[in-house]
Amino acid sequence: MNRAQIARRCLLAGLVAYLPLPGQSLTARLANGHLRVSAPQLRFLTGKVLERLHDGAPVVFAFQLSLSTDGSTSVWLRDVARFVISYDLWEEKYAVMRLGRPGAPASRLSAEAAQDWCVDALALPVSDLAEQKPFWVKLEARVEDPKQESGANPESPVSLARLIELFSRQTRSQQERWVAQAGPLRLAELKKPLGRTR
Amino acid sequence: MRYRWFLTLLLPGLLAAGAERQQLTNVNSRYTVEAVEVSGIQESTISKPLREDLQRIVGEKYDQGKLDSLIKRLRSEFPGRRVFPRVRRGDKPEQVKVTIVVARHTFEGNIAANKLLYHSKQGWTGDLGITFPDRGNNRFSFGILSNADDLLERYAGIRAGYERRSLGTDRVRLGFQFESYHNKWNPTTLRELGRSPEAPGIYRTRQNFEPTFTLLPARGLQFTVGTSFQRFQTQFPAARTEAANAVITTLRYDRQLEDSAANRHRLEAGYSLRAATRTLSSDFAYARHVWDLRYRLARGHNRLEDHVTAGVLTGRAPLFERFSLGNSTTLRGWNKFDVAPLGGNRTVHNELAYRYRIFRVFYDTGAVWNRGQKAAAKHSLGFGLFHHDFTVCIAFPIKDGRAEPVLMAGLTF
Repeated sequence: MNRAQIARRCLLAGLVAYLPLPGQSLTARLANGHLRVSAPQLRFLTGKVLERLHDGAPVVFAFQLSLSTDGSTSVWLRDVARFVISYDLWEEKYAVMRLGRPGAPASRLSAEAAQDWCVDALALPVSDLAEQKPFWVKLEARVEDPKQESGANPESPVSLARLIELFSRQTRSQQERWVAQAGPLRLAELKKPLGRTR
Repeated sequence: MRYRWFLTLLLPGLLAAGAERQQLTNVNSRYTVEAVEVSGIQESTISKPLREDLQRIVGEKYDQGKLDSLIKRLRSEFPGRRVFPRVRRGDKPEQVKVTIVVARHTFEGNIAANKLLYHSKQGWTGDLGITFPDRGNNRFSFGILSNADDLLERYAGIRAGYERRSLGTDRVRLGFQFESYHNKWNPTTLRELGRSPEAPGIYRTRQNFEPTFTLLPARGLQFTVGTSFQRFQTQFPAARTEAANAVITTLRYDRQLEDSAANRHRLEAGYSLRAATRTLSSDFAYARHVWDLRYRLARGHNRLEDHVTAGVLTGRAPLFERFSLGNSTTLRGWNKFDVAPLGGNRTVHNELAYRYRIFRVFYDTGAVWNRGQKAAAKHSLGFGLFHHDFTVCIAFPIKDGRAEPVLMAGLTF
């Protein structure tokens, strides 16, 4: 392989690492004036994360559900939340708790149910959005590095600004970042009996 | 002190709340730790306070924060290693077993400077090795090096290895090592060769292929047997290819103990034999025996070490098999080309070293000579700094007249 080929391959590898991940499909629905989503194909309890959970350690995930009206260049609404998931070594079931908000944790969940629980907890108040205005929704999930984000204690507070900053950063590993998106959508369409999937 | 009553009321509440929060964030916090094990290292190499703290969590509720802090302490005691926990169900219900794995990074594939050294008399030595990630029980390695320190020659080239780490049982291993080097010689050695027609000739290239079996019959004991097929292209007195094919055997013992006063003792002993024989189509027939014994005593930040080595070479052997003293590990302060530019077939060496934190002093004494000659012992003294694998030191030969110090700096020597 000559130098030009090596340089081309390095450039290509760099571009691949920089480009956003291909989005997975997202289903949006309206409930009590809030936009909620479900992402049945988004499975983040996999790979190294799953290994950590099966080794008895809790894993903290940061989620962001964002809405943009111009095709995702600027965010019009967002909901960010942190969840701690742990795996019960004896029951072989998952437990999930939303951090920074009172409420009982959900326990004895399957992997799919634990993932869905996190996504279901996110909501965007869309009462101010015009019914015919097109919008795009994007769901992002990241694993928090226990060394970098909040130390050993998953409960230590993380500000909203820090969470937003977290989502604007490139991850070290694509294994620890998941994205699903949908759009363009309109509230008018979502108010029909069936939501729209992209 | 006026508010002690308030703290007395508040503290148990805070602790209970902390435990409850812990249980909420990690569902396993309700389980009791049944046992704690450390794998990948001998437990006696862990400091006594840490070992005690590790055992202290047995019988307690599983606490991720506490485990993380113990892992952090293990990482600081074993720098450069990967330390991670594995928590599994215990033998009894509602109990968990904790295994802390201490692994070398090479297990995941690693690039490491096996040796990087500057020696003011010998120049630079560099040995860069790559160990690829294990594929099952198979491990592949590759190295590129230029070494002016270990032998009378500077040898530069590549090294590739394969190791099957389990052959039916973990106590048997199979290895193949291939090396290919170009050689350069010091002018003093070349001058001395001209005066010694009976000495073996120099060579410009050397290749070695070495298949070995390693047996691990008992804890701390290792026995290796194999063959070494070395071919080298001689340069002097005539250009031709010669072979030194030998049966190789190594027996090593390594044991670490800790006494009741928290003194750590480490004893390493070894014997190696390389026997080249005509039956393996070797142009040389010789037997090279090396014995060594190392004892280390560690107490707190103090470390005392003594290492004695002896070697005997019988028959006619190529230059790379001859003993030499006066490098970065033996008779430090002496130049090996002043001590014995063609090496010798007899050697004995002792190193006595003391270390306190990063400071180190050492005293070397040794002799290298040929059979029938009288051995003349040489001595040297040195001091320096030592931190993890990095060392910088100055050593002086003890002799009459002007003694020029030798500066050595680098990694892992």
